[in-house]
Amino acid sequence: MTKRKYVYLLALVPFIVIALMYELVPIVRIILNSFVSDDSGLITMANYQTVFTKLLYRKAIFNSIKISLLSAAAGIIIAFLGARAAHNSGGKVRSVFMTILNMVSNFAGVPLASAYMILLGNSGVMIQMARQFGWDALANFNLYSTNGISLVYVYFQIPLSTLLMIPAFEGIRKEWQEASTLLGANNTTFWGRVGIPVLMPSIMGTFSVLFANALAAYATVYALMMDSIALLPVQIAGCFVGEVKIRNGLGGALSVVMMLVMVIMIFVTNAISHRFEKGVRK
Amino acid sequence: MKKHSAGSTAIILLILIYLLIPLVVSAIYSLFSNWTGIVPRGFTIEKYVEIFSDPLFRAALARTILICIIPIVITIVVVLLALFVTAIYFPRLEKYVQIICMIPYTIQGVILSISILSLYVSNKTILGNRLIMLIGAYCIIILPYIYQGIRNGMRAVNMPVLLEAAEMLGASKLYAFFRVIVPNILSAIIVSSLLAVGIIFGDYVLVRNLDGSAFQNIQIYLYQAMKSDGMKASAVFVVIMAVTFAISAVVLYLQSRQNKSAKGAK
Amino acid sequence: MAYIRFENLNKSFGEKAVLKDINLDIEQGQLVTLLGPSGCGKSTLLRCLAGLETVTSGKVYLDGTDITDVNPRDRGIGMVFQQYSLFPNMTAAQNVAFGLKMKKVPSNEIDTKVNNILDVVGLSAQKAQYPSQMSGGQQQRAALARALVTEPKVLLLDEPLSAIDALLRHNLQVEIRRIQQELGITAIFVTHDQEEAMVMSDVIHLMYNGGIEQSARPIDLYTQPKSTFVASFIGHYNLLSAEDMQKATGEKPESGNVAFRPEIISISRTPIEKENCFTMHGTVNVSLPHGNILRYATVCNGVQIDVDVLFGENEVFDRGDEVYLAVSKSECVYL
Repeated sequence: MTKRKYVYLLALVPFIVIALMYELVPIVRIILNSFVSDDSGLITMANYQTVFTKLLYRKAIFNSIKISLLSAAAGIIIAFLGARAAHNSGGKVRSVFMTILNMVSNFAGVPLASAYMILLGNSGVMIQMARQFGWDALANFNLYSTNGISLVYVYFQIPLSTLLMIPAFEGIRKEWQEASTLLGANNTTFWGRVGIPVLMPSIMGTFSVLFANALAAYATVYALMMDSIALLPVQIAGCFVGEVKIRNGLGGALSVVMMLVMVIMIFVTNAISHRFEKGVRK
Repeated sequence: MKKHSAGSTAIILLILIYLLIPLVVSAIYSLFSNWTGIVPRGFTIEKYVEIFSDPLFRAALARTILICIIPIVITIVVVLLALFVTAIYFPRLEKYVQIICMIPYTIQGVILSISILSLYVSNKTILGNRLIMLIGAYCIIILPYIYQGIRNGMRAVNMPVLLEAAEMLGASKLYAFFRVIVPNILSAIIVSSLLAVGIIFGDYVLVRNLDGSAFQNIQIYLYQAMKSDGMKASAVFVVIMAVTFAISAVVLYLQSRQNKSAKGAK
Repeated sequence: MAYIRFENLNKSFGEKAVLKDINLDIEQGQLVTLLGPSGCGKSTLLRCLAGLETVTSGKVYLDGTDITDVNPRDRGIGMVFQQYSLFPNMTAAQNVAFGLKMKKVPSNEIDTKVNNILDVVGLSAQKAQYPSQMSGGQQQRAALARALVTEPKVLLLDEPLSAIDALLRHNLQVEIRRIQQELGITAIFVTHDQEEAMVMSDVIHLMYNGGIEQSARPIDLYTQPKSTFVASFIGHYNLLSAEDMQKATGEKPESGNVAFRPEIISISRTPIEKENCFTMHGTVNVSLPHGNILRYATVCNGVQIDVDVLFGENEVFDRGDEVYLAVSKSECVYL
């Protein structure tokens, strides 16, 4: 019986082969490569030195973190309002809302860039209208800047974050709200004292998903600005694609930095939600 | 209470308007040759005629559909086998399968594609073939979705008891798995494959980094149209969104049917 | 040799011993219950017989053959699980036919057998329905039919009624017992519900902590518990230590603990003079109607004694009333 059991391990082989060939080995290789010089082939920390000293890469790290934080924060705030509204409306409104969010959540990358170019690009529909009516603030809007990119990122954060937050609101018992009203608390006090603390683990979980989503976003920004913006994914891809000589080491170091940023964000959000989790679960 | 729900509806409407504006504007843009004032003028469907009669567009569409099939089939078979063995014989290994399946979630497209590229680009065997690399990368990028779909399906059907029941009735575990479990998680498999189709259909990163412009999929076609002709790009955009929405509509329909039958069983 | 025999059976999960040296005989044609609190090992024992768990040491015999190492599907055992064990993609009839197909029974024969057994369990009208269209009770009937149709040597039922509503559960208990007797099949029923065990079984094996605590006919288990655990698990025994006994009655009992059922106690407003009785004096603390009986919780010199009397037949006492109790010494169980 036990011997025959191990024959079944063979069924795991295809899975392991694919995972090793296209996931584990490539990722380990890229991490190892980050410690190898592109010029001499010797083991070195020079790639990391370049990453942290060269202005372009420092800016890329800074911009990536900034845009990811901004768009994730904006996404969370809108998602909180939207999910709470869906929770309060319930029934039909909620399900229609969720259906549309689900549909729109696939809207990202090149199509999103294309739609925003039509809308807010240099000769975009809204920009032209603004010029006609003399709304300078809108007419001078520059889509091809970090602020412009942040705006586009916020767009694809909203459906995802709202969809992630709606189920969390089901954990907010109507009885709590009723109890707090009977105890004399108003709506704001309830959300500040009870609602948000209870939701904090979900908020933090969603935040880290949004952050990752923005950090790794590539197609949207590349379609708008090609290589001309200092962002981590763009610079990483730049080391490998379209160059005469592939820079494995530098690209590896940038990738490791990006993964580290992601891991740090996961730790931070986990730590915050743990502080709020005491007593909430169990 | 009334006031409350009016406020909620207003928020939901605002969000929906914000989300739908880019879609609606692009759709209108693709249908009018002149839109500089408030009202667009010159209604025409010439851009749709143009793209559908463009062999490059049709080829890009066909390529995109074809490239979906192979990785999805491979990943489903591989994950099914792995989960069958771990669930029945080696429950302790399941944790590791899960970790491997969830890594692509955090790594995402850019790092995955350049990792694969840098490993195989100078390989002289078939592994160095760009299309093979692309298929491998697609297998990995859809792994979390396929894994979760199949895993949730297995949880929902109470797999251990069903397998024991089948075994007591004289079926072998392998027979029971394919005859009893797989038919019951079929709709879960279909849903996750459709999600995977959506992901591959919307992919630009992997195909650009791994296959340059040699393998022109629909996203690359859109990108190139964007650079030359906004109206044509909008038409391509409408086609892509129509397909994407159709896929997610089918997914939502299947999921709601699944939930209904799950509720019926309880 | 008995029809089913467990011999020095041990089973551990890792460090934890779940079954400790079980020796148990089960006769052919009987319905036997494995009763006990959760975690006592009753389901594990059943699963060892089914072959769904491998035993750590010891032997399992069925119908004279050692089946310890036989594959579950070759043991000739039918099993009904707790719930949701029907294959959701198959109708009731297809579920029932599954085992016959595995045995390569010709298809015309399958049809007759399936129809017959569905008739026996009263499910003919639901034969084309899918599990999700059936009620919990109907699903368990179908599961029973599926287990019976292959004419197994023994039928195992692992808490099959635990997820069913109380009223329906009682109907199904009677039904299962009827079908078992009609077919004359040997059946082993696992439950944690002592009333269910009492209603259904020829013999009850009460399990506790991985061992068999007592094996007896239901009535004997009820009147003659062998240990304090049995007394506390079965019925509603008053279970008193020697010390409490002395406090309540003023008499020191012959040995150890004393147990007596609440319904054998006489209760009165005046002192009871009877031969060979323990007598007590106390006050009524609570009186609770339990269906057709009235249960008084009385306190006699600081010791709680519960007394059951038939409703309507006796004088009714109120909270705070002083009462005298008497219980025949021969009806007490000394543990």
